Amino acid sequence: MPDEISVRVLDIVGGALAVSADDGQAVHDKIAPLLREGKRVIVSFEGVNTIISAFLNAAIGQLYGEFPEEKIRELLLVEHMVPEDLALLKRVVDNSKRYFANRPAFDEAWKEEVGDDEE
Amino acid sequence: MIFRLPTIHSDKNGFENLGELAEAARPLYANRLELNFASCGFFDANMAAPLAAVLARVADKFNTIEVVSVPTQIERILRKNGFLTSYRYPPLDDENHTTVPFIRIQLAAAGRFADYLERHLRGKGIPRMSQGLGKVFKQSLFEVFQNSVTHSGTRLGVFCCGQFFPQLRRLDITIADAGVGIRTKVRQFLGTKISSIEAIRWALSDPNTTKTGKQPGGVGLKFMKDFVALNRGKIQIASRRGFYEFAAGQETFSMMDTDFRGTVVNLEVNTADTQSYVLESDLSPENIF
Repeated sequence: MPDEISVRVLDIVGGALAVSADDGQAVHDKIAPLLREGKRVIVSFEGVNTIISAFLNAAIGQLYGEFPEEKIRELLLVEHMVPEDLALLKRVVDNSKRYFANRPAFDEAWKEEVGDDEE
Repeated sequence: MIFRLPTIHSDKNGFENLGELAEAARPLYANRLELNFASCGFFDANMAAPLAAVLARVADKFNTIEVVSVPTQIERILRKNGFLTSYRYPPLDDENHTTVPFIRIQLAAAGRFADYLERHLRGKGIPRMSQGLGKVFKQSLFEVFQNSVTHSGTRLGVFCCGQFFPQLRRLDITIADAGVGIRTKVRQFLGTKISSIEAIRWALSDPNTTKTGKQPGGVGLKFMKDFVALNRGKIQIASRRGFYEFAAGQETFSMMDTDFRGTVVNLEVNTADTQSYVLESDLSPENIF
């Protein structure tokens, strides 16, 4: 197997829209095993024209809970993303780093709901 | 029971009136609701989405719903957008092409939302919008829809409706669900008895999210808010007793007199916006991670 693998989002989501967390999860499930094997992964957004944060959180953001930042920086690359989508990805990445840095607090979340009345 | 629906504008009072309907109909079980429009002087077409969310809860308890005495002008609007066809009214052609029709989308068929936008946003001012604006607007709508899918916990689907105002150069799209509401999600997350208003405020603040586990979250609403600020559009959020509006750079949070059981987001885009939304950015794929 080559050391560099291209993952084409269009082939996984089946169209030009990357707008659901489920589709993002499917892309993540392709990327994560390759990173685990130490492969360099190029995620291609060629032909994808609408991308939202929920997709990127699932596809890429959650990698920060599984791999060290340095490893992601070394092995992961995106291509064919317009600057606006790159800016959204940057926002998702920065948010994910914060999210996983506070992971213990998040894991303790989901406490019992405190009543259903307003006051 | 008979409920006399008052005028429904797309504002705090309109959402309160729909909350009043929800509260009045709440005890009904295997019964009949007559929704009487005789006192309704005006009905903003996009408000068909939250009205449908309220009525879905009523119908879910085996109640029969009849919509009666709809004034001619309102009947035309609500037949054109398809809302009234669920209540045995015949459809009416939208010859002006200003309607963004009413649709109910089950969560299992979430892909229909993309088809809906593709079909119905065309010709609604988007060709006039500046470069990139149509893309960012669509992204914002997908973010809102995905939030409903992820957070509402509803079995009743997501309700969408809109209206284009060519003279005002405004396009409204409203996405409503009959789910648990923002307050419940934030209370579950924080473990404190936060009010509806504070829950909305919390959800809109960076970097808050009620998402836990493997997938991070909390970017979508802020993305939408940044877009609306640039576009000089409007966001309205009604969820349980909380109402939020962001327009002309001003944010207002207010408590509603009634309980809207679910969440509604109305996004109004200024289609006359001439700013470019195409970024001139120093970001490159090499400095993202």
